[in-house]
Amino acid sequence: MKRRTFLAGLAAVPVAGCGLSGTSSTTTAGNGQVTGEITFQTWSLKPKYTDYVNGVIDAFQKQHAGTTVKWVDQPADGYLAKVMADASAGSLPDVINVPPDLSFPLAEAGQLVNLDESLKDAEPEYLENAWQAFEIPGKGGCYGFPWYLNTGPIFYNKALFQQAGLDPDKPPTNFKELEEQALKLAQKKIAMLGQTPSIADFGLYGVKLFENDKFAFNEPKGVEFVESYKRMYDAGALIPEALTQNYTGAGAKFMAQQTALNPGSAYDLGKFKTDAPSLYANIGIAKPITNTGSANMFLHGVSVPKSSKNQATALAFGRFVTNAENQVKFAKLASIFPSTSKGGDDPYFTTEDGSDEARVRVAAAKQLKTAVNYTPVQFSDQMREALLQQLADVMLGKKSAKQALDDAVNECNRLLK
Amino acid sequence: MTHRPYTPWLFLLPGLAISLLFVIFPFLNMIVLSFTDASALGGGRFTGVDNFVRMAQDPKFWVAARNSLLYMVGVVPPLVLLPLLIAMLAQKVVPGIGIFRTAFFTPVIASAVVVGLIWTWLLDSRGLVNNVVEALGGTRIGFLTDSTLLLISSMVVTIWRGLGYYMVIYLAALANVPKDLHEAAMVDGAGPIRRFWSVTVPSLRPTMVLVAALSAVNGFRVFSEIYLLSGGSGGPGGASTTMVLLIQSVGRGLTGEVGYASALSFVLFVILLGLLLVTLKLNRREDQL
Repeated sequence: MKRRTFLAGLAAVPVAGCGLSGTSSTTTAGNGQVTGEITFQTWSLKPKYTDYVNGVIDAFQKQHAGTTVKWVDQPADGYLAKVMADASAGSLPDVINVPPDLSFPLAEAGQLVNLDESLKDAEPEYLENAWQAFEIPGKGGCYGFPWYLNTGPIFYNKALFQQAGLDPDKPPTNFKELEEQALKLAQKKIAMLGQTPSIADFGLYGVKLFENDKFAFNEPKGVEFVESYKRMYDAGALIPEALTQNYTGAGAKFMAQQTALNPGSAYDLGKFKTDAPSLYANIGIAKPITNTGSANMFLHGVSVPKSSKNQATALAFGRFVTNAENQVKFAKLASIFPSTSKGGDDPYFTTEDGSDEARVRVAAAKQLKTAVNYTPVQFSDQMREALLQQLADVMLGKKSAKQALDDAVNECNRLLK
Repeated sequence: MTHRPYTPWLFLLPGLAISLLFVIFPFLNMIVLSFTDASALGGGRFTGVDNFVRMAQDPKFWVAARNSLLYMVGVVPPLVLLPLLIAMLAQKVVPGIGIFRTAFFTPVIASAVVVGLIWTWLLDSRGLVNNVVEALGGTRIGFLTDSTLLLISSMVVTIWRGLGYYMVIYLAALANVPKDLHEAAMVDGAGPIRRFWSVTVPSLRPTMVLVAALSAVNGFRVFSEIYLLSGGSGGPGGASTTMVLLIQSVGRGLTGEVGYASALSFVLFVILLGLLLVTLKLNRREDQL
């Protein structure tokens, strides 16, 4: 699965119905008693966040006497296969860590608890855009507690900008400037980008992605966007591997200083510092490129499967894990951001201390208030691949931008059924 | 000693149970699913031969089938001949021959992912090979970004990985070639090349047929090499996709079309079965001549 990996966090607004005393064993959540054993499955949090997760579990068990939370951490590799196997067998753990695009097919198949029905009062505790990310568009219902979020700046290589005669302090702020600067870099045989646009990039460009329950990114603005990439590709502003690689591959090329610009997150900045010090010395950090005024956002959540035999406890734990206090603690450990409505008010996300990390963190936290998860939840891995392949055909001159986007949209709509 | 008729079955039971559970049942299930529109989350309605009709009209299927066929044609001759030549060198008892044999066998035991990464670094547009090409005054070659070159690069990796494995098979077969045949041929004045064609090759023919059949099946089912070298994309525009890559792409994830992926798997099985039967028949016919 092609997805940015950023690690997680939670928070603590002890939830209505969960009680705050830490001694009650008769609290309720949804419909039932909060008691008994549940299993909590996370996505690759061991060993780095073992102490944190155990701390959250201990606090929950203390607050709800008679509950036991068994924690299972699955490695990132094979996570999807594990969820798929469990879902097929009807044996998903009681609380599972899933991003929206994974919760969507499970919710569509009727396997997840609808929080809008079971915990109507939970919604105000979370950022509106994060809550919406776990809704099924057009059908309503929310199928996951938003957990940790991420967004980020663009990183660019100042040294490469200088080599091409560009002002290293004026990186592109919108897609028009991106093309102009990319073409200048290409004249010096420097590639600006390491991948063709993702569906989220179409959203950032201002393309209408989804309309009337169908994909619609083949609209004129989408064609215009792809044609801009075609001009950049022809000029050599994209590396040849751009036609086949995903975000991870493009990130590696940026780290190897083979491309001049790449979107990223606070997590990446730490990676540059340790893994690519010569890049770090020349790193430029700027606001994300967008034509809409909103940045892109990525998020994870926790969902409760309907098959859980202890839904009340699972719902209470899901809400507890994602409350403001727990999320803020987690965010401070993991270069991520809380999805609760109050979590972002913590001084950690509003005050700079002069370091690059703090600058990125504060800017990203500000961005998150208006950020949008531009990847539609319906956009599956197969659809991502279809788009990538069609864009490659455009870049290679095998198809026009319009034809390729029509074909990609048709394939996505066929897969939607 | 009393002979109990069920005793052999008791010994066979664990193996049979494992085969039944992990081979026979999934295989039968695949056949059933190929006639449904099942998704990864189960369910699925009986759709008759719809999946097969769709396959016939699906350009991706034809691209994948063509690429798998080309792959097989590309790797079988080198994998039948090169390991034989290496085995003939490796069977010589000379100082240091162990190192030689180990060197050829190492790729066989190396992880496919590690092998894929090494070759990706070598063949990348900024990789070692291209840096050498550029240093020599040439232009960079799109080993991994041109769909044809990507297929050829993957074939090279498959051949490189297979050399050691088939070499070991040939080494065992060469040890069984009667020495007196070679001695008789030498007495008759046959040189090394003549002895190779008239003594070694005929003696090894069943082994060569076996190697051809195994490498053909493995070539047609290629996955890891092309997956790793193309970053999982099947090449630009998916133009280097092979059958197994297509099956993985269609069926993977919670949104996978398991019914269609099963139909593709079923067709792959039929093609491979056909290949093996043809090989068997050819072998038998030659035996009769």
